[in-house]
Amino acid sequence: MRTLVILLGYEEEAAIGQTVAEAARALPGADLLVVDDGSSDRTAEAARAAGARVVRHPFNLGVAAAEATGLRWAVRRGYAAAVRMDGDGQHDPASAPALLEAIAEGAELAVGTRFASVESFRSNALRRAGNRLLSSVVSALSGQPFTDPTSGFRAFGGRALPYFAEHFPHDYPEPESLLWACRRGFRVVELPVRMRPRTSGESSLGPFASAYYMVKVSLALGLELLGSGTASEPPTP
Amino acid sequence: MTRSSLLALAAALAFAVAIVASARRLRTDERHTLVWLLVCAAIAGLAIWRHAIDVLAAAMGIYYAPSALFFLCCGALLWLVFRQSLEVARQREQIRRLAQEVALLAAQVTPDGAAGRSDAGPAASREG
Repeated sequence: MRTLVILLGYEEEAAIGQTVAEAARALPGADLLVVDDGSSDRTAEAARAAGARVVRHPFNLGVAAAEATGLRWAVRRGYAAAVRMDGDGQHDPASAPALLEAIAEGAELAVGTRFASVESFRSNALRRAGNRLLSSVVSALSGQPFTDPTSGFRAFGGRALPYFAEHFPHDYPEPESLLWACRRGFRVVELPVRMRPRTSGESSLGPFASAYYMVKVSLALGLELLGSGTASEPPTP
Repeated sequence: MTRSSLLALAAALAFAVAIVASARRLRTDERHTLVWLLVCAAIAGLAIWRHAIDVLAAAMGIYYAPSALFFLCCGALLWLVFRQSLEVARQREQIRRLAQEVALLAAQVTPDGAAGRSDAGPAASREG
């Protein structure tokens, strides 16, 4: 199975090289693509120096668009599967083969969860409560239990790969795209993965942004329930 | 005709001239030009027929006539702003798609896959 590893990097010059090297070790058969989401630092150069192909957005488009760009590259180059990880090293590449194995066994979207097992860090009380709320909302709407709907550590295959190359939610994409996948009838599985604290950079969400995020995502999920325009487009073949 | 009517008429005329001028330079498309010219016509109409507002207010069941005008203007502006925000969202989506394509194409044709550096400087890591 031809596999592409998509690493998303924005202002990650300090960490991206090591992340690329680690991913290459964990997935020796896969090709590496770094999507640089319009960084102003040397993220692209560092990734290239570490041996990855780099697609560089001319300006910052957001994490959802960066994921879609990577998936589009995978579709156009004929990859059968792609695994998406953060460029800052939070997603342990050692967990990626398990996700890809699920794709090989017929899953179309394999989502890594940090809560099904191992250590959960990245957590203050607010964030954990928010995640629990989101989990229950997404689980209820999708009819399938999920423990970590905001996880970006995911593998794509089957119909999900071309679908998410063309369709992506705005802003904070993870819970919404999970729901889209379930609604389209893609086979979605959730697997335990290991995530680590950030080694560099800073978290993209403070407490107020987190609260705002919760409201926005809830609204987006609610609209999806009503059948919103973008989400109800048929999957592109 | 009173001075205030003349003032309103002059304003409507100046607005109409500006609309036609920018339409000639192709800065607006026909649909918008027509709508804006209709707005000018409405202003001119209200200036000439001064009791139009009173008739309108009576028809709407509004006692204080200027309130009818405020109500209609606010409604029209709200609708306009809503349309504009839809248009902005659509164009934002198109720009995003274009930027993605540029990035993918640049990565294909140049060995180092670099699609020019942004002058805009760093933005939020996750666009909001």
